[in-house]
Amino acid sequence: MGVTERSKKRVHLWKKAVLHFLLCFVMGFFTGFAPTGKPTFTRVDSSAEKQYNNSMVELAPRPMLGVTGNNRSLSETPESAVEETESEIEIEERKQIIVISPTNDKDPLRGVLLRRMADTLKLVPPPLLWIVVESKMESSDVSDILRSTGVMYRHLVFMENFTDHTTEMDHQRNLALKHIEHHRLSGIVHFAALSNVYHLSFFDHIRSTETFGTWPLAKLSTKRKKMIIEGPVCQSSQVIGWHLNKLKMDTDELPIHISGFGFNSSILWDPERWGYLPFADATKQNSLKFVKQAFFEDESKIRGVASEDCSKVNIWQLHLSS
Amino acid sequence: MKQLSLLQQATRRSNSFRSLDGGGPDGPMKSPATLFWIILHALCCLISLVLGFRFSRLLFFLLFSSTTTSPNSSSSSTITVPFFRTLDTRSTAILQPPIPENRTVASRVVVGRHGILIRPWPHPNPEEVMRAHRILERVQKEQRLQYGVKDPRTVIVITPTYVRTFQALHLTGVMHSLMNAPYDVVWIVVEAGGATNETATLIAKSRLRTIHIGFDRQMPVSWADRHRVEDLMRVQALRLVRDRKLDGIVVFADDSNMHSMEFFDEVQKVNRVGALSIGILVHSGDPNESLKTEKMENEESSLPIQGPSCNSSESLVGWHTFDARPYAEKSAVFIGDIGTILPRKIEWAGFVLNSRLFWKDNDDKPEWMKDLDTLDDESVESPLSLLKDQSVVEPLGSCGRKVLHWWLRVEARADSKFPSGWVIDTPLEITVPAKHTPWPEIPPELPSIEKKEIATEQNFVEEHTVKRPPKTRTKKRSSRSKKKREARVAEIQLK
Amino acid sequence: MEIWKWALFLVAVILLGEMGIDAKKMSQLHPTERISGSAGDVLDDDPVGRLKVFVYELPSKYNKKILQKDPRCLTHMFAAEIFMHRFLLSSPVRTLNPEEADWFYTPVYSTCDLTPNGLPLPFKSPRMMRSAIQLISSNWPYWNRTEGADHFFVVPHDFGACFHYQEEKAIERGILPLLQRATLVQTFGQRNHVCLKEGAITIPPYAPPQKMQAHLIPPDTPRSIFVYFRGLFYDVGNDPEGGYYARGARAAVWENFKDNPLFDISTEHPTTYYEDMQRAVFCLCPLGWAPWSPRLVEAVIFGCIPVIIADDIVLPFADAIPWEELGLFVDEKDVPNLDTILTSIPPEVILRKQRLLANPSVKQAMLFPTPAQPGDSFHQILNGLARKLPHGRSVHLKPGEKVLNWTAGPVGDLKPW
Repeated sequence: MGVTERSKKRVHLWKKAVLHFLLCFVMGFFTGFAPTGKPTFTRVDSSAEKQYNNSMVELAPRPMLGVTGNNRSLSETPESAVEETESEIEIEERKQIIVISPTNDKDPLRGVLLRRMADTLKLVPPPLLWIVVESKMESSDVSDILRSTGVMYRHLVFMENFTDHTTEMDHQRNLALKHIEHHRLSGIVHFAALSNVYHLSFFDHIRSTETFGTWPLAKLSTKRKKMIIEGPVCQSSQVIGWHLNKLKMDTDELPIHISGFGFNSSILWDPERWGYLPFADATKQNSLKFVKQAFFEDESKIRGVASEDCSKVNIWQLHLSS
Repeated sequence: MKQLSLLQQATRRSNSFRSLDGGGPDGPMKSPATLFWIILHALCCLISLVLGFRFSRLLFFLLFSSTTTSPNSSSSSTITVPFFRTLDTRSTAILQPPIPENRTVASRVVVGRHGILIRPWPHPNPEEVMRAHRILERVQKEQRLQYGVKDPRTVIVITPTYVRTFQALHLTGVMHSLMNAPYDVVWIVVEAGGATNETATLIAKSRLRTIHIGFDRQMPVSWADRHRVEDLMRVQALRLVRDRKLDGIVVFADDSNMHSMEFFDEVQKVNRVGALSIGILVHSGDPNESLKTEKMENEESSLPIQGPSCNSSESLVGWHTFDARPYAEKSAVFIGDIGTILPRKIEWAGFVLNSRLFWKDNDDKPEWMKDLDTLDDESVESPLSLLKDQSVVEPLGSCGRKVLHWWLRVEARADSKFPSGWVIDTPLEITVPAKHTPWPEIPPELPSIEKKEIATEQNFVEEHTVKRPPKTRTKKRSSRSKKKREARVAEIQLK
Repeated sequence: MEIWKWALFLVAVILLGEMGIDAKKMSQLHPTERISGSAGDVLDDDPVGRLKVFVYELPSKYNKKILQKDPRCLTHMFAAEIFMHRFLLSSPVRTLNPEEADWFYTPVYSTCDLTPNGLPLPFKSPRMMRSAIQLISSNWPYWNRTEGADHFFVVPHDFGACFHYQEEKAIERGILPLLQRATLVQTFGQRNHVCLKEGAITIPPYAPPQKMQAHLIPPDTPRSIFVYFRGLFYDVGNDPEGGYYARGARAAVWENFKDNPLFDISTEHPTTYYEDMQRAVFCLCPLGWAPWSPRLVEAVIFGCIPVIIADDIVLPFADAIPWEELGLFVDEKDVPNLDTILTSIPPEVILRKQRLLANPSVKQAMLFPTPAQPGDSFHQILNGLARKLPHGRSVHLKPGEKVLNWTAGPVGDLKPW
């Protein structure tokens, strides 16, 4: 290889290199001008943005959403990890289920039944929120038990004393409904007595509730020869009748067990949307009554949400003596 | 900050370019010098890319910062995106916080009134909710990894069962506990009277490794006989453990047990044979109704416990057994084929065993272990009958003081029936008209009701079904009672 | 080669420009140096032998008598001033010989003046402080030697040595003129704020250590709360209009996230408050009237990742604790996007933060235990003071030089105490 040849080649190489550098520089230069609105952590809900553009007021410049301070630790993580989670996320979005469980401190089985219920709820795919209500006690193991379950729960306590069991249970349910109302939590509300046992598929079905949903429930008792089924009689998902376990009913009473129906929580905090009058003063203190009344009001809104024709029993209730 | 992260992005981006460059036109040169050259070249390319990027950012910064620096925000932001609608709490139109006069200059924080930022979309993004739940799941998993049992063993669960009214209720409860146990579980379900589809469909939902085997005897009616048959079923399962050389901890979970999650952590501690305390729940599960009986028994929360008993130095001295005496007089309630069933003196569920104890030709098989084949099947009443020496039992759960699982054995009457697979047969023809539907305020006085009541005496399911013709009601409740409409009471046949 | 020269020049210009910007930005964001690697390198330092502190003997009306009047001062968030005094009295760094002292400490309980609600209203504090300084300057030669440049004061109130509970008034007043040269140990940490003195040592608020210990639950208790917060969102009593309190940030948290089940937020203080923090992944630590809040200490102790919402906050011992790695900083203006921000963090990052939070050194540095323990907040304060040694030349005044203006400040402050 001759010297000239070599130097020629060198010049060639240099030229090439400089060209590359310049290209890269220009590329970087223009990348810099690309809009920075691509935040690392957030997506902007553009439709919402558009919708509110007129009414919105510029408050503060928003250079970039996210975490200020040092992102060292954040940027440390390899991009791949972020992307991985990103792609993983493509899973179905589910409706929230809000399970309300009143408890009774006189029930010797409370602790055990709470654990059993927690086991079931832990297996329900999220999102699920469990609202457990309890009368305020000096010492109670309810908090300890709930804490160990890993279920997302809210533990509400109340001070009032009750002598009547039914009134107390209703008060507890009301308290939970008040919580939902106050926080405007959205989801399908279900009252779960601790003595209930569930098929997991129940929770899949209940998610399809729009306004009101109902399903059959089997009451099991030890000494009777018979078992009792309460709930709707359906034609596909249309409710056409009810299985009644007694023929005399107060108008105030539901035709079914309280665990036999569920409803969309938004009727509590946004009743107008569903065509209900907002709470009258009389019912203001009693959300449960309101829900029951709303349930009565219009049966066309009730859907049987269990499997085909509401024929599959997915809830059992243990009912020992009578 | 923004610049920093963008820089990193750019660097990442250029990393990918580098690889392209390296494998590009300069490819064929192979000597170390050329290799060095390529690397240098790529590096310089990278630098120029970054420099270009930064240069543009610099320009950008210089150009725009002067225009956007407003008195109330000294932050060096570049783009202004109108994003939030501000709402005063009283919805008066105070949107811009008053501009302070002589405040801290260098800090971007403003003293005085600020707007309350409320975003236009009111509800959480469902995708983000799912993401949050994933994070929680991950965190909980990490906690288990970090603080949980290291090198956990498989848990081999043996459950005798048979098809009956309460089976779904009981078995589902146990199944859910097993599904939550953070260990590998092999679930051996022994079914009296042979394996049925009913049980199979039930346990198939567990997604656990299940071994479903049939037992060739029917479940007898009397409780004493049932206990004996169940013993045999458990021994059969143990033979299966031996024959398949399953490795792990054998746990006896009856379908009427309820477990605390701690139970599964605790059994991991067993070396060979362990014993745990069981809480015996003799009360009914319905708080409504159990209160009365409970008060009568006036031992309100003293939960009877069955399990190992230790002395002060934490060594096993004996057994707490279930004292049936207080319940003796209540035999009317508890005996026979109905109602709550009292436990025996020592239940299998209180024991855990290392499965290797059963393996054949296992060299370190201890002498005190009886061989399954040499046993007279009828004599095995509890795991203690498998041992020649009871002192080898290791008491678990803080020496039995911690109750981690419970026993609530309630059954329906043996002759009670239930719909197969718990699917209700919807009645096709409905005969009984009712005054109005769906909630009768006066019981319809109809002869057929009487007939029905009588009929239910022989029937297993009592049903009053009121049907109404769909979509013919008015919406007002008050008018409902006045209108005479046809409704029909139906009887449901379940077979 | 022309092109190369040109290119080099360009490179140089850009680099210089960059450095300029970065330095500016960095100075805004990172005024303090950070340790690299895991927390605790500096936290584990032992201050003994590195400095000597002389504690002035003051009449008990400046400290003990005030405490006797209101024992609540021992438990509220500003109790550090009392515990620091007690700690120094028995500490091995204390010297009885003022000649060999590196630092002088004047024990004045300036915050211990509480309303019936337990809120400190330090209206008398300026006069008390002034009176104390007058006393030490006339009884000992050391104040006049430096006019306080080698003295430190513990002023844990919201706006530190500005001694007013309302921010605007506090800013108007500024730091007490007599403390211009002294080193302040304060809880308040608002960067570039009139009331945060340069060189001040920012400390955590006082949180009762025994009480927190008593509520510890096993670390394997599954964390089932995504975001946790208990406290006020609106301070209707003091801020009926809304928007002043917490600069509107807490109100924004409530308005945007009350309906989000992932956000366990409420104004009610449950009995299980401490336990709940231990089963939460993120704990919100938004500013209140001042940027700091005791939640920060609680979050660290209970291993819940603190989400700090307080623009330009200076965190306790920020020169020793890598707060960005332990916690999460969210701009006040980004509060409406909290859910997006928190759910976008890769799980690995969250787990790493949790591991760092599990580090006992950081926990220890947040507490004022009695008796003191190695590495606790007391020791970190001393470490901070020791790192300021040796004193610069400017500390000692030239003979006859006077810097302090004894007659500056509002007239009300000049009245005798």
